[in-house]
Amino acid sequence: MEGAFSYAPAIAAFPLAAFVVALTFGKWMPRKGAIAGIAATAGSLLFSLWMLAAVASGEVYHETLYEWTAGEAAGEVGDGIEFTFGILIDPLSALMLVIVSLVAFLVHIFSLGYMNAEGETGLPRYYAGLGLFTFSMLAFVYADNLLMAFMFFELVGLCSYLLIGFWFRTRSAPSAAKKAFLVTRFGDYFFLIGVVAIAATFGTVAFAGDDSFVAAAETAIADGDTLFGFDAQTWVTITGLLVLGGVLGKSAQFPFHTWLPDAMEGPTTVSALIHAATMVAAGVYLVARMFGYYALSPTALAIIAFVGGFTALFAATMGVVKDDIKQVLAYSTISQYGYMMLGLGVGGYVAGVFHLMNHAFFKALLFLGAGAVIILMHHEQDMWKMGGLKEKAPVTYYTFLAGALALAGIIPFSGFWSKDEILYDALIVGLNEPVIMAAYAMGLVAVFFTGFYTFRMVFLTFHGEPRSEAAEDPHPVGWAVKVPLLTLGVLALVAGVANLAPVAKILGVDIVFLEHWLDGEYGAVEGLTYSAYGELLAYETGVIGSEQLTILVAAGLSLLLAFSGAGLAWKLYNVPEPVAHKERLGSARRTIENNYYQDEYQVWLARGFTLPLSRAADRFDQTVIDGSVNGISTASLFGSSWVKRLQTGIVTNYAALIVAGFIALLVFLGVYGGWF
Amino acid sequence: MAVFQLAEWTAMAPALILAGTALALFVFDSISPHSTNRSLLAGTAAGGALASLAVAVWFIVAGVGTPTVDGGLGEITVLSDQFVVDQMALYFMIIVAIVTALIVVASYDYLVGHAYQAEYYSLVVLAATGMSMMAAANSLVTIFIALELASLPSYALVAILKDNRGSVEAGLKYFLIGALSSAIFLYGISLVYGATGHLQLDNIAEVIAAGDADPYGGLLGLGILMLIGGFAFKTASVPFHFWAPDAYEGAPAPISGFLSSASKAAGFVILFRVFTEAFPLGDQMNALIGFDWTVAFIILAIVTMTVGNFAAATQNNVKRMLAYSSIGHAGYALIGVAGLSADGGELVMGAAMMHLLVYGFMNTGAFLFVALAEHWGVGRTFEDYNGLSRQAPIACAAMAVFMFSLAGIPPFGGFFSKFFLFMGALEASAANTAMLAVAAALVVNSALSLYYYSRLVKALWIEEPATTRDRLARPTGLYAAIVVAAVMTVLILPGFGPVVDAALDAAVAALG
Amino acid sequence: MTVGVEYYVLLSMALFSIGLFGVLTRRNALMFLMSVELMLNAANINLIAFAFYHGNLTGQVFALFAMALAAAEVAVGLGIILVLYRNFRDVDVTVPTTMRW
Repeated sequence: MEGAFSYAPAIAAFPLAAFVVALTFGKWMPRKGAIAGIAATAGSLLFSLWMLAAVASGEVYHETLYEWTAGEAAGEVGDGIEFTFGILIDPLSALMLVIVSLVAFLVHIFSLGYMNAEGETGLPRYYAGLGLFTFSMLAFVYADNLLMAFMFFELVGLCSYLLIGFWFRTRSAPSAAKKAFLVTRFGDYFFLIGVVAIAATFGTVAFAGDDSFVAAAETAIADGDTLFGFDAQTWVTITGLLVLGGVLGKSAQFPFHTWLPDAMEGPTTVSALIHAATMVAAGVYLVARMFGYYALSPTALAIIAFVGGFTALFAATMGVVKDDIKQVLAYSTISQYGYMMLGLGVGGYVAGVFHLMNHAFFKALLFLGAGAVIILMHHEQDMWKMGGLKEKAPVTYYTFLAGALALAGIIPFSGFWSKDEILYDALIVGLNEPVIMAAYAMGLVAVFFTGFYTFRMVFLTFHGEPRSEAAEDPHPVGWAVKVPLLTLGVLALVAGVANLAPVAKILGVDIVFLEHWLDGEYGAVEGLTYSAYGELLAYETGVIGSEQLTILVAAGLSLLLAFSGAGLAWKLYNVPEPVAHKERLGSARRTIENNYYQDEYQVWLARGFTLPLSRAADRFDQTVIDGSVNGISTASLFGSSWVKRLQTGIVTNYAALIVAGFIALLVFLGVYGGWF
Repeated sequence: MAVFQLAEWTAMAPALILAGTALALFVFDSISPHSTNRSLLAGTAAGGALASLAVAVWFIVAGVGTPTVDGGLGEITVLSDQFVVDQMALYFMIIVAIVTALIVVASYDYLVGHAYQAEYYSLVVLAATGMSMMAAANSLVTIFIALELASLPSYALVAILKDNRGSVEAGLKYFLIGALSSAIFLYGISLVYGATGHLQLDNIAEVIAAGDADPYGGLLGLGILMLIGGFAFKTASVPFHFWAPDAYEGAPAPISGFLSSASKAAGFVILFRVFTEAFPLGDQMNALIGFDWTVAFIILAIVTMTVGNFAAATQNNVKRMLAYSSIGHAGYALIGVAGLSADGGELVMGAAMMHLLVYGFMNTGAFLFVALAEHWGVGRTFEDYNGLSRQAPIACAAMAVFMFSLAGIPPFGGFFSKFFLFMGALEASAANTAMLAVAAALVVNSALSLYYYSRLVKALWIEEPATTRDRLARPTGLYAAIVVAAVMTVLILPGFGPVVDAALDAAVAALG
Repeated sequence: MTVGVEYYVLLSMALFSIGLFGVLTRRNALMFLMSVELMLNAANINLIAFAFYHGNLTGQVFALFAMALAAAEVAVGLGIILVLYRNFRDVDVTVPTTMRW
């Protein structure tokens, strides 16, 4: 398996080639670039699986491919910094490569049914965007240093912008694209500062190895160094939180979550690939990638956990009142990423990654299912106009149901196992840490809302009587739609097998494959394993009674809440003619429908603070900067008209000036040289 | 290689081929004074220039001038050291031959309906012979003779449009200032001879090193200063630049291009050679004349580039703008001497040599575009050039390339040579802080130059034409020369490695 | 008895200055040309005197070359002055001023 890794660059190179092909020749290709995209992502998938197999056989890969600049400048700790492009393939990135390339592959196939079959224009642009995105995302995943990760992090943001704005002739899509770009970019500013701070502090941006910034930070803390006037631990917290700015923006965590619901203006396939399964996961993935760094800072971890728990609940409540099927899914995405953040924040590295994987599958499934529903409904997205699709589109229904059960966390679907593990990890830490307990409580309550909105969506869409003409006579869907749905449906059902931690602990059987995988049982880069992280963590854990009992309590609580949410939805909406029950929410209704006025306050901040600042900067630019530039140019041109007057046109004057110039030079040099 | 078996005098072949071509054209002129067989005349001249180019390239590839320790053939001296053929000589012979070839090809169309065709080509090739010999001249005698050989035909060429008052006026001014300058130059030579007793460059250096010239420091200093005057005339540097704007404006455009590219390069090669061979920097030299002569060049470089660029900024006549810009570029190339120091300066001198090569393409090309415009008869000012891109997109694209390259915008050749000059100046500032001022002047002047270069591009490509024009002709020769120059200006980027190596090797060898 | 070389140099400098003065003040092209010739000959005096002083012939030989070149220069110069007269009906060097600034 040694040779496998030398093909690693091809994983990202395939989609890049597809991007170029689609962009240049897409117009003349039979499927406008789809075939190239499918072939490329299939290639990436195969190679990713090969990498996975290679890692399973105990190999890892950490190689610098290209050094683009190196400096002498020494950091606060360490010396000469290098900026490189390199590849790091360890259990985590190998797993993520497979997830990304699999979802990308399926979404490309689905696009045949969703975009091509619907006769869209601008398809080469669409496939080029998907290709570029897949390339950037894969390169981000196996980036071996923070700066390279940052670059591709930005590049996926750009692709997201381009693809949200795919239907640029509508009013809403460009505006949504702009919003997504600006909000995530706002977070990325902090990320960039964080990258610079880390590079300046430790003189390295590498993720792994002895010369990684993680190792350097660990040494600095152990030595009790003072960095930039802070003690090492505080400085690690500060830089970690700066990087977290980018994470919160990209993973749509509070308060940067506002862009994601708007991003649903893009094609549903794009929502599935970018805004559910992969790009949004980039933030969480980054936390997992540099988990060793965060593990050094309990404060940063607690903030991650708390923000995660809060976002999980906050978004779930907003999902309850949405009428647009994609909006419900968007809020559920925010909420689910909140869970992952919670999991990582409490030190549940395996749980967080586990949920990341499961969520990628079932949320892609749900989005693609929603896409199928939208095809069925002749591009209607309002759930109140649907209903009764269950009999007419059984494949869509059953796969969607599988996704919904996973999302709601109903045993034995995949979502249950990972979510339960996160909540369990949060609970045992929370028994000693009040902040974590609060985060856990919010996460737990969110389970109820998740069950409720998920099944409200399922019942309104598929059950009851058809409530519009389109729902009575749905548009058929083809194989290109069904194949990805079935694939993901199966995965949503069985992916939980990867890590049946509660069963393992209660029955005492060793069936926690993912934990072993991430712990480097097969192969790992030193320091990037679950147990290595565990040693760094400062958390104390507690139990209720015994460990088994705690597991049962945690699982029981979350299942109970999930079932009660689902049950409430069943009672309210699984009727032939469902009606809205929003008025029962009373005074809270308006607030929730308006998303807690999140957009409003952000706009208010922008208007009240940023805009005057920008105006002042503009005025400064217009008067002072432009003024001096114009002054210089006026002076230059005036000088020019003066200088050229020397050239009088009379040759005798020239001779005189030459002699005068020569004598001036002679006198100057004579005085300078001491001749006189 | 085969060069070994040839007699030593054949090392001067690039210049001798040109001389032979000039004589052949002269004989033809004597036999048939009114011939208008343009193809034959231009073909002969171009053939001679290309043969000279080919031989010079062959020599450089064969290793002439490469030190024998590196497996080369070493320098070849001719006529008891009066001429030396080394890498620098061959490098500048190549520049001269390239420019000559471009000019001759372009003149094929420019001279339609013109009398004295054979005379014209003969004079061009004769001047090129002089320039080629300047590249190899190794004694003040041969330098002076070669310089006059280059100058005298140039005076006649500038004034060759005998019924055109502008051309005659330009010729007169060029000639009078030239005569004055050569008198000063010759007097400088006589003073240097007086101080050292030798005219051979290496002998002069030996005398100075041996301390035999110590009693005559003032004489030598004055002589050196007068030599600088002569070089300043040839390279159109301040204060001997006054002839240049008028001569370039009045002369036929191909001749303006020829003088401002090849003649300037030839002026620089003797400048490089005299100051590196005869007056090597060092404590002995400084003590003798009381100062470091780079000071003079630092002043000249700054003043020259500033005067050239400032005067160019508000010109209305395109040709005159190019004339002033060529003065500005002389200032850039002077950095190559200003940045020398006792223990180095290869980088900065090599950069100046690169700049002169790139300049040979882009400046010649720009003047040839003006020649094309004169051929069309569209007028001379920026306004007259408005909207030419609609009728002649290819030529205008080439012109845009020349302008951006002259301004030093990537990815064109002019950017790289200017960048190397800048880096070289910065590196030299370690030894001499005044070089920082030179580097700053380079940046400021480049910024200013972008203003007037881009003004021309704007006129060509963006402005609406003031008058409606008929379809413009596409003279083959002019077009070919312009396109070749443009392609080379662009292609010199990927091919910059060998150019850099050649220039740096030559500089290292010259600084020995 | 030989005359010291410094007197020759003084002579040549005087001649050079006279020539330069002529260049700066004379407006007739022919006089301009003659003044330049004076300057060139000043250099020739130097060359020959120094050749004698240093005891080598290089300077003398070079002076011969310089004279030949001066003659060539005059030939070209007279040609230019001729066309100047044809175009401007004058040999005053300050008359042609169409190109300036």
